[in-house]
This record gives sequence, structure tokens and C-alpha cells, in this order.
Amino acid sequence: MNRQGLAVQLGPLQLKNPVMVASGTFGYGQEYVDMVRPDLLGALVVKGISLEPRPGNPPPRIWETYGGMLNAIGLQNVGARVFVEEKLPWLKTFAVPVIVNIFGNTLEEYRSLAAMLDGCPGIAALEINISCPNVKAGGMVFGTDPHMVSQVVAMVRSATALPIITKLTPNVTDITVTARAAEQAGSDALSLINTISGMAVNVETRRPRLANVVGGLSGPAIKPIALRLVWQVVQAVSIPVIGLGGISSTEDALEFLIAGARAIQVGTANFVNPRITLEIIEGLQTYLQRHGFSHINEVIGSLQLSESSTD
Amino acid sequence: MLLKNAPVLFNEQVAANLYHVGFECPDIARRVQPGQFLMIRVAREFDPLLRRPFAVHRLESACIEILYRVVGRGTSILAGLTPGDSINILGPLGRGFRLPSGGGPILLVAGGIGIAPLPFLAEILLAAGNTGPHYLLFGAGKAEELVCVDHLEDLGFVTTVVTEDGSSGEKGLVTDHLERWLDGQQQLPVLIYSCGPYAMQRKVAHCALRFGIPCQLSMEALMACGVGACLGCSLRCKPPASETEPYYANVCQHGPVFTAEEIIWEQC
Ligand SMILES: Cc1cc2nc3c(=O)[nH]c(=O)nc-3n(C[C@H](O)[C@H](O)[C@H](O)COP(=O)(O)OP(=O)(O)OC[C@H]3O[C@@H](n4cnc5c(N)ncnc54)[C@H](O)[C@@H]3O)c2cc1C
Ligand SMILES: Cc1cc2nc3c(=O)[nH]c(=O)nc-3n(C[C@H](O)[C@H](O)[C@H](O)COP(=O)(O)O)c2cc1C
Ligand code: FES
Repeated sequence: MNRQGLAVQLGPLQLKNPVMVASGTFGYGQEYVDMVRPDLLGALVVKGISLEPRPGNPPPRIWETYGGMLNAIGLQNVGARVFVEEKLPWLKTFAVPVIVNIFGNTLEEYRSLAAMLDGCPGIAALEINISCPNVKAGGMVFGTDPHMVSQVVAMVRSATALPIITKLTPNVTDITVTARAAEQAGSDALSLINTISGMAVNVETRRPRLANVVGGLSGPAIKPIALRLVWQVVQAVSIPVIGLGGISSTEDALEFLIAGARAIQVGTANFVNPRITLEIIEGLQTYLQRHGFSHINEVIGSLQLSESSTD
Repeated sequence: MLLKNAPVLFNEQVAANLYHVGFECPDIARRVQPGQFLMIRVAREFDPLLRRPFAVHRLESACIEILYRVVGRGTSILAGLTPGDSINILGPLGRGFRLPSGGGPILLVAGGIGIAPLPFLAEILLAAGNTGPHYLLFGAGKAEELVCVDHLEDLGFVTTVVTEDGSSGEKGLVTDHLERWLDGQQQLPVLIYSCGPYAMQRKVAHCALRFGIPCQLSMEALMACGVGACLGCSLRCKPPASETEPYYANVCQHGPVFTAEEIIWEQC
């Protein structure tokens, strides 16, 4: 299949198309291989990993809400060593940029993890997760304080030559502040948004639906918020922005690209339709043809704000 | 694992809130094992958003059958499907029941809608040449929820029913009856298969462990992906031999069928 016109440049990263899968929603690639050949994707972001394995939170960990879901997985993961020895070799057999989402409890953990992964062939970039709402230490605490954002990003920058993408949390008053902090500390790109803090209650038992009480909201319900935040950040920084949050169709993906995102990630929608990323790649191609564009770059950031834009 | 659109062949109400649906999907039918499940997309749009998990109830060549209870939005939509409609299914998923290696009595224990995966298992047991004797203990709220009993009796299963309101068989919980039943047996079963609500499964597991009978239980969890990608469907399990820490297994991937010993049973 000819996919001309979809290649995008994300700082130092070259992608054959702008469609990636979001961390935590596609496992390590193997889980969906019967339905999505990884090398058809622009990039594959793996489930967040930490230095040591983490057991995650007690169940129930998920709850469906209107147009979305809450999750409090608690960053359950196999740990960096097992990832490198058991997951990465398989991923490396596909011609797809593998982006490793990393998480630490302390600055030092972020540094060690970045340094360790720096030497591993087969990793295209690191995505720094400073935005998980489901863990007590680190996580979102790092992502909401611009000073901490700078420190984490600078620490990772000093430890690796790999491109770094900082994943921002929406759970802040002004996201452009944390976005600029990450840019100034040396991040090559930004991805946003991570889940929005939320909660649900069983009124019969009067107990929270999640054992962790609060969780992160994702899915179609959060798309307008994510889109607004992406648009604001695109205005505020000069590094490329990857948009995500509720993207479930070609049209959703286009909204983010038109608002200025250079690439997009699909998260929760993979659970609903495992082949959605492939449908979006196809859909983008069709859109280019239908509008007479020769390259997706003509679409990116093309939001029409003048009067003549109404239709 | 396959992702398919499958035409609905029939969708019949079998009791107050119970439905039996059959749809044509030869590719999945060819691969599915008893105890495995499907993730069904009940809505075309995003309401409800996530797929819903259902065990395979029976197979009739290319026709896959599911027995389901209407409990909420997704299952209500399912109940509205008519022949000619098509549903999107992902499957077969998970690890199903393991068949016994030798002969000897086999006991199936079902609670309510937990009967759903057992007829398929029963048919495969017989097809595999297992000579039994075969027993079924089936507990439900009331008489009309005791579906499939005739079918299993026709297959040669000696069936005992228990209802909470006493409208059929003995009055009480299937688990109360289980202990007495095992006590009165000349020859204990070599294997127990069980499916039902968590509290029942916990008692069945304890009972099986006490009598020293191997026991396989099909467990439930809330699921988003069904394939091991989201880590949402966790069940606390004992560490494997080489490890020391308990861990969270994915019900969709490591189960839904677990052995009684594997699970760390919570209070409920
Ligand atoms: C592996 C597996 C196999 C299953 N097989 C069958 C089957 O063969 N027949 C059948 O009737 N049901 C089966 N279930 C349960 C079935 O998936 C749920 O009843 C269904 O998802 C409810 O969807 P809903 O939209 O109608 O309910 P919702 O509107 O989402 O929820 C209504 C209520 O249903 C209950 N519920 C929701 N999801 C589940 C769940 N996964 N497990 C238990 N209770 C739930 C909750 O208490 C909730 O409050 C199975 C579940 C699993 C995990
Ligand atoms: C089950 C689940 C697990 C997730 N795990 C991670 C993770 O490990 N690291 C991370 O940075 N984001 C994680 N996320 C957040 C997603 O990558 C994404 O930012 C969020 O879900 C919003 O996108 P969506 O609406 O398309 O799902 C997770 C989301 C879900 C639903
Ligand atoms: S449902 Fe997603 S891991 Fe089991």
C-alpha cells in the first residue's frame, strides 16, 4: 500500500505516518499482533515501565463511564530488565519506531532508567510519563509542578542521547506553563494529554467504583478538552506536539492535526476497535486525496481562524 | 484471535432476564475451546463504549451460541438484536478449561448465569471419550433460572438443583449442598469445574481444597480490552514456584479459568 504524503518529522524522529498507539493501551505490541502489524504504525509507545517491576493497584481497576472509562491500573509493569530482555527483542523485529514510556518515583530513578535504556538498540525515543494520576509517589506530582517538570526533563536529557518526549498531564491550571518548562529543559517533543482525574460511585453500596477511589478518565468523553489543550500548547512552544485524548476516528485525528499536532496517539479506542489505527491511516490518505493535498504537512496546523473560514 | 462481523441467526428469551443468542462465525467456531470467551461490541457508536465479555455457551458447527443475563445497558442492547443484524466480535480469547487426563467422576458446579460455559464443556468432555460418571450441581435464585438442565441430563449428567427460594429442588445455596454432596459420595470426583458469582466460587474452591479435589474455576472481572493490553481485569494470585511475591494475573489472558490453588481469595 502506497502511503505517500503521510511521513512526519517529530524533532529528530522520522515517522512514516503520524498515527501511534498510546502507552498502556497496546501492551507491548504482542497482544494485538493478530490484528495490527506493528510496522504499519507510525510508532508504537509501550506500556509505561519503571526500574523495578510494579504489581499495580488492587481491583477493581476500571469502570466504564459515559463515553469513556476510568482506570487506576497503578502502572503495573514488568520492570526495565524484563522489558529489555523479553519484550524488546520481539519488538525489534518490526520496522517500527519503539517509544518507551518511562516512569520513576524519584528523579534518580528517571535518570537510571534513561541511562539504562540509552544503550539498548531498538529504542527510538523515550516518552517521560510525569502525568500518571494513579500512583502516590512521583507521577502526577512531578507533572503538575513546573519546577519538577524542568528537573525531570533535564535529568533524563543528561542521561540519554535518545530523543525525549515529555507527556503532560491535563490536571493543571495552565498547561502552557508545564509545556514551556519541558521545552526549556531540553525535551524534543511533547505529548498530551494523559488521563484526567475522575471518580465514580456505586450508589447502592455507596462505595467507590475503583479500589483506588480515583482514577484517570480517557476515551471519547475527553476529546474536546484534549484538543483545546493541544491547541493552546501548539501556540506556546516551538517543539512538535503529539496530540491524544479520545481519538477514535479519522475525523478525530484530523481535528488534532489541523489544530497543530504533528502526530497523534490512539489510546482507549484500541480496546473498542483493535484495527482503528489502520483505519485512521487509511482515512488520512483518503482525506488528502479528497482535498487535493499532496502532503499531511499541508493539513497540520491549518486551523482557519479568519472570517473566511466559516463553512 | 480474530475480529469478525457475524450475522445473528436467532436471539430468544429463555427466562425472565435470560437470552440465548446464536450467530454465524465459522472462523471463530473452528478455533474456540470450552471456557474461552468473546468480546462483543454491542453498540455501533460509543455508547456503551467498551466491548462486553461472554463465554461461549455451545457450538453448532458454524453457529456460536451465547447464554446471557440482561443486567445493564450493553446486555439490553444485545437483547434487542434480531436475525439478520450483525455483531462485531473479537475472539476466541483467554485460556479455557483443561480436560482431565484420566477417567473418573467429573463434577460441574454452576451458580446462576454461571451455567453458560458448561454445556460446551460437557459436550467436549464426552467427545474426548471421558466416561464419567458425570454430575452437575446447579444453584439459582428460582426455578425458572434453571436453564439447560434437560440438555445436560440428556448428555448423561446426573443433575441436582438447588434454588434460593425453594421453588425447585432443595432450598438454599449450591455451596451448602456441595459439602453434603461430597460427604455422601462413595467415590469423590477427580475434577470439579465451577462457574458462578465470586462468593460461590470462593466456597467451591475452599471445599475442593479441603477434600483434595483438583478444581478449575472460570472467573469474572471487569474488562476493557480482553487481550492483556490494559491490565484492568486483575485477579490476585499466588506467586509461581520461582517467585515469592503474589501478583495480579489478567483474567482475560491467564484465565478466565484458574485453579483453586492459584487464586488468593479475598473476603466478600
Ligand atoms: C470472561 C467472562 C465471561 C462472561 N460470560 C458471561 C456469559 O456467558 N453470560 C452472561 O450473561 N454474562 C457473562 N459475563 C458477564 C458479562 O460480561 C456482564 O454481565 C456484561 O458485561 C454486563 O454488561 P452491561 O452493559 O449489560 O452491564 P453494565 O451496564 O455495564 O453494568 C451493569 C451491572 O452489571 C455488572 N457487570 C458489568 N460488567 C460485568 C462483568 N464483566 N462481570 C460481572 N458483572 C458485570 C455490574 O455489577 C454492573 O453494575 C462474563 C464476564 C466475563 C469476564
Ligand atoms: C488502561 C490505561 C493504561 C494507561 N497506562 C499508561 C501508562 O502506562 N503510561 C502513560 O503515560 N499513559 C498511560 N495511559 C494514558 C494513555 O496513554 C492516554 O494518555 C489516555 O488514555 C488518553 O488517551 P485516550 O483517550 O485516547 O485513551 C493509560 C490509559 C489507559 C486507559
Ligand atoms: S481486559 Fe485488558 S488486560 Fe484483561
